[in-house]
Amino acid sequence: MNKLLNIINQILEEAGNSPVNSLENSTRLRDDLNLDSLMLAELTVIIENEFGVDIFEDGIVETIGEVVSKIEGK
Amino acid sequence: MEKKFLVFYGKEYSYEKLIEDLYLLRNYSPYLYIKGNNPYQIFLSIIHSLIYDYPIEVIDGDLSEKELEEMEIDTKSLFILKEVKNQHKVNDFQTLLNDISENKNWTLTLYTSGTTGRPKRVSHNLETLTRNVKVHDKFKENIWAFAYNPTHFAGLQVFFQALCNQNTIIYTFDGQEKNLPDLIEKHKITNISATSTFFRSVLPSLKGKVYPSMKRITFGGEKYDSSLEKPLQAIFPHAKIRNIYASTEAGSLFVANGEVFEVPVSISKLVKVNDNNELLIHHSLLGKSETYTLENGWFKTGDLVEQVDPNHFKFISRLTDLINVGGYKVNPIEVENILIKVPGVIDLLVKAKANRVTGQILVAEVIKDPETDEMELKKSIKQFAGKYLQKWKIPRIINFVDEIPKTRTGKKVRK
Repeated sequence: MNKLLNIINQILEEAGNSPVNSLENSTRLRDDLNLDSLMLAELTVIIENEFGVDIFEDGIVETIGEVVSKIEGK
Repeated sequence: MEKKFLVFYGKEYSYEKLIEDLYLLRNYSPYLYIKGNNPYQIFLSIIHSLIYDYPIEVIDGDLSEKELEEMEIDTKSLFILKEVKNQHKVNDFQTLLNDISENKNWTLTLYTSGTTGRPKRVSHNLETLTRNVKVHDKFKENIWAFAYNPTHFAGLQVFFQALCNQNTIIYTFDGQEKNLPDLIEKHKITNISATSTFFRSVLPSLKGKVYPSMKRITFGGEKYDSSLEKPLQAIFPHAKIRNIYASTEAGSLFVANGEVFEVPVSISKLVKVNDNNELLIHHSLLGKSETYTLENGWFKTGDLVEQVDPNHFKFISRLTDLINVGGYKVNPIEVENILIKVPGVIDLLVKAKANRVTGQILVAEVIKDPETDEMELKKSIKQFAGKYLQKWKIPRIINFVDEIPKTRTGKKVRK
């Protein structure tokens, strides 16, 4: 979760948004974190590089919890 | 003093030596494939084929057997030797030029460098190959820095321009780049034609020096980088800087002063721009090839241009280079031209990375100044991009690399 938090904060900061202190499983990528398509694309590419998982492989991912289960291979 | 023809790694070949070697060369191959691309052997073989009037196929000596196989070249046939039937003595340079111009059967076949797909085979006759070669008394004393692969189109252009004016060629390609300052000084080089990438790589070793001998600098082979013009002009204060549009298929066609190319009146009816802003060239201007797809006699160059007026255009990008980010077409060259200005960036390549959210996003591979901190530079690149580019044109991923892959002609590989 910490690694994911760092990645997301890096994306947020580079886009000029404020970083977040923590992530919950229920945190929504678009609605709560305000990630747009380009930021989501960036997120998926970084996660693929770091963890070897394509989080959008089989459809839409909405929450941090879903990202984490993808990474953990659930 | 004997007029020098070629200087190559400290070895000098005079025009007299060239004429003598042409006479001595009795066995020849219709395939010109010289491992290591020794320029003297390449030039000698081309002139030989012209004098004895046989077709020649030029194959890059840097290609491996595997690559040759993929190009469907039968490697055995490369080493077949034929013997000259009527040995022919050329007395002097003028006779040599006359003999060259009297060819009937001669064609020169070469392969496109193939940034995408299989290299295409294109055959030229002397007319299409030397369309833009200019012969004049005022060019007599020119001394050329040779900065291209000698088996490629741009290299052949420089070779013919130099040969037809009996100029001296100083080989500065392939490991000789770092010696360029010494070679310019020693040989009083007056002309250089090279890619933007070549100029970028030699600029650090030229910085702070001034070479008054240089009369003309030509950009060819890849997209012109206008940011190089100022530093080059400071180093070469007497040089006119020109930019050339040429392709293996069509030869050298247009010249630009800055970014605007002029279509010469002589071919203005044979050049047009279609509704998608793609530059089209009439087939009559092309070398021969079986692999062209023509549309009503017009060849699609794959080059996107902006028409300034009926006889002038600007080059925008290669059609195949465009990257689709969430439905927005991005020209990576535009992004590169902006981000090269970020302090700490020495060179960069912008390419596509596939993903399921936006189809593609931009990835930048950056060669950075060793003094600059990676994290800081990443931030400043993104900030700079955010300020000057639309958001889909911002490289989302930035990787630092030591080298940017190039094709054999020195074009960046955007794969």
